[in-house]
Amino acid sequence: MITGDNFPYSLAMRDIDKEFSLIRTDRRVMPSGRLWNPAADVYRSADGWIVKVDLAGVCSDELEIEIHESLLSIRGCRRDTHYRDGFVFHQMEITYSRFEKSIQFPAPIEGASIRHDYKDGFLIINVRREQD
Amino acid sequence: MPESSQNAPPAPDPETTTAAGQTAPGTAPGEELRFSVQGNGQPFEVAVLALQNLTLFPETVVPLGIGRPRSTAAVESALATPEKLIACITVRPDRSDDTDASSADLYEVGTLTMIKRMERTGEGMRIIVQGTERVRVVEWKQQDPHLRAVVEILPLPRTVDPEQVEATKRNLQEMITEALALLPNVPPEVRLAVLGSVEATRLSYFLASILNLGVEEEQKMIEANTADELVRLAHANLAREVEILQLRSKIASEAQTEMDKAQRDYVLRQQMRAIQKELGEDETGEAAETELLRERLEKVELPEEVRAEADRELKRLQRLPPAAPDYHVIRTYLEFILELPWLKSSEDKLDLAEARRILDEDHYGLEDVKERILEFLAVIKLRPDTKSPIILFVGPPGVGKTSLGRSIARALGRQFERMSLGGVRDEAELRGHRRTYIGAMPGRIIQSIRRAGVNNPVLMLDEVDKLGNDYRGDPSAALLEILDPQQNNSFRDHYLDLPFDLSKIFFIATANQLGPIPAPLRDRMEIIPLAGYSDREKLEIARRYLIPRQTAENGLNSGQLKVTDDAVELIAARYTREAGVRQLERTIGSIARKVALKIAQAQAENVTVSANELREYLGPPRFYPEQARKELPAGVATGMAWTEMGGEVLFIEATLLPGGRGLTITGQLGEVMQESARAAQSYLWSHAAEFGIEPAIFKEFGVHLHVPAGAIPKDGPSAGVTITSALASLYTGRRVRPDTAMTGEITLSGLVFPIGGVKEKVLAAHRAGIRRIILPSRNEADVDDIPEDVRHDLQLVFVSGIAEVLDAALEVLVANPPPTPPSIIDAGRGRLPEPEPLSVKS
Repeated sequence: MITGDNFPYSLAMRDIDKEFSLIRTDRRVMPSGRLWNPAADVYRSADGWIVKVDLAGVCSDELEIEIHESLLSIRGCRRDTHYRDGFVFHQMEITYSRFEKSIQFPAPIEGASIRHDYKDGFLIINVRREQD
Repeated sequence: MPESSQNAPPAPDPETTTAAGQTAPGTAPGEELRFSVQGNGQPFEVAVLALQNLTLFPETVVPLGIGRPRSTAAVESALATPEKLIACITVRPDRSDDTDASSADLYEVGTLTMIKRMERTGEGMRIIVQGTERVRVVEWKQQDPHLRAVVEILPLPRTVDPEQVEATKRNLQEMITEALALLPNVPPEVRLAVLGSVEATRLSYFLASILNLGVEEEQKMIEANTADELVRLAHANLAREVEILQLRSKIASEAQTEMDKAQRDYVLRQQMRAIQKELGEDETGEAAETELLRERLEKVELPEEVRAEADRELKRLQRLPPAAPDYHVIRTYLEFILELPWLKSSEDKLDLAEARRILDEDHYGLEDVKERILEFLAVIKLRPDTKSPIILFVGPPGVGKTSLGRSIARALGRQFERMSLGGVRDEAELRGHRRTYIGAMPGRIIQSIRRAGVNNPVLMLDEVDKLGNDYRGDPSAALLEILDPQQNNSFRDHYLDLPFDLSKIFFIATANQLGPIPAPLRDRMEIIPLAGYSDREKLEIARRYLIPRQTAENGLNSGQLKVTDDAVELIAARYTREAGVRQLERTIGSIARKVALKIAQAQAENVTVSANELREYLGPPRFYPEQARKELPAGVATGMAWTEMGGEVLFIEATLLPGGRGLTITGQLGEVMQESARAAQSYLWSHAAEFGIEPAIFKEFGVHLHVPAGAIPKDGPSAGVTITSALASLYTGRRVRPDTAMTGEITLSGLVFPIGGVKEKVLAAHRAGIRRIILPSRNEADVDDIPEDVRHDLQLVFVSGIAEVLDAALEVLVANPPPTPPSIIDAGRGRLPEPEPLSVKS
């Protein structure tokens, strides 16, 4: 009887899988979006929303915040400005280049007033409902 | 130029507006990306990473190992830029060498990626990249230290026919569900990704990167400019993979139902075959095997007839499925044909002086044997095309028959092969079985030739006298053909069923006895008898070969063991009983082992073994050969016998039985010997007057004849002379001379006929202390065989009639007269005659 992984047959089947594999387990390819997404917290406040994005080192010129109905989109590009000639990277874990983050709100926020600010390296976005 | 936040968002692509909102998080499909470093839509310069056997697609994250110098330089250069962008382009598959790829080896379309992570490892670095968009190389900028090119960003694949794309995509997803059911070990992220993703382009790219498609297919997909084309390619590829998967799963489930451990290998092979067949790759297997056989057949030199047959068999083989039972039969047959040395001979290097040297080096003595061997070799040298002689060595065990064969092969420079015929009782063993039988094999002759690898080896047929011969078959009949120079140039083995030329083989046969060899077989061979060795020869052989060999075999140095000559002589005489030297060697070996023990225990440095110490090493002597008796009573005579172990002295004892009748014979005598005893008595009876015997004695006294040792069967006519002497002595009262031994066959008319084994018999008699020997005069020629030193000690008397024998054997004086038969007493004076005084000539 063939039961469990202890039977040599299942071992052999695994070997065969290696040879004639449908899925290439060796590559460990993972799907992704086209750009990277920074992490974000969303707080609900008395008069609107506060969005905190883990996005240090992005200059304001390279940041674009946009609202479309209930969707808040943050796009931009983080560039490595510390690199100097003669430096050699020993390790790199911070993701640079273009990013984007879309946050879906439960209700439309079009027309809300938006202010953004940097605090302790976080990008803080205040979305305030229209005063009416 | 980077875009600033003030720029208005671009108008959404009209074709994909329906999907907007569903794809969060992420960029809306079809939307071109902004914030590109080198400005939107404009070609820009970027480092290029060449990928081997791998295509990177947009919207995938892939870990990569970086090791080659150009790749490392490219990554380093990308890391030095603010955005860490690098273009990944695949190397064309037709590039075979393993060096760093140059721009010419690369495709033109690849993927722009950002390096998300980098860590250094021992050999290089590991990076994780994320594909963003497709790029096309506009212009190569540099090759070294890394590849660099100006690239332009390619737009996302356009959708031409949205319904078609949507339909294909749904189909794809269905197929994926199907495939996932068959695959047990898919990581959940992958499962989620392929089922959750609803965007056709993204799904296709991801499928392309996880399916094992090969570089060419993958490149086709990355170069697809419309979503329609992309989805179609993904569908076709996945369909093929799913089919293989289903097939495999079908085989697996079918196999599982009846599989046990032993069948495991078979099932795996079946799976592989099924997969190969599905891929159109089953060209290897049997086709290749027959092809290989065909190639080998073409290369090998074969006689015309053999080639025709081999070709015919090969054609049959090609038509047969490998599972057919005949398949393996034919294959082994063809392989056997290939291995046989049909036309391959070794070159003879025949130098008679060298041959003589080799024979002398390997064997002591045997002068006449060597002489005859050299004669044969001389003939071969003068007429190389002559039929090789077939030599038969006859002699007792251990005299060197087999090793003479080896020496002949060495002297001729030919291969030596030996096969023992002892106990072979089936003709098929020599001639093979027909191929119709399961497990049929060629006969031993053909197998020996294959082992020899040439068609002119020296082939030794050991123990031809021990061939079985009964109702189960008569192999000697097959030997007749094999050994007949007129027929054996086209010997047909049953298995081969093709004529093989045996006439170039130098056959040497050995036997212990001529008797059991059928006459027609004997007739085909040149018989060379090898007699036993004399004590002197044994001493010489022990000194030259046996002691050095046993010393070395038991791990001693040449100086560490010495055996004195008298010790060797004593071993030969008292511890062994043989014509050859095998037991002698074994006994010397056991001495050597005991000496080795002493030396290993550091009790001695070197040991000399003399005759006095033999008892210590070997115990008491095992054999007491019959010694000449100092005095023989009337009625006892000394005879000589031939045995396989050499010669022996034996005594024939006769006594009168008053009132008895006829002749009682005891001592395990064979029929021939009993008859010769009867003939002896009859002769003496009929010539009683001539020898001064009272005829009445035959009538009134019985005679008992006994030959010790009683347990050993004896036979043969050669004791006739001795029996006659014993009886004559008994009837006349004249004793037989104790220093005399005799042999010879007698006839009823009183003639003495020649006998065999003269050398062995004389040697045995000499050993026993006899100094006078009576031999048939027609054996005078055999005296040349007797070693000079032995002959020197002996007085040989040649006789041709019984009267001469008795003259030579019996003492003149009557020592103890026979009793007078009662009939004479009754008829005569009624009293016994006065006994004559006993007197012996000193």
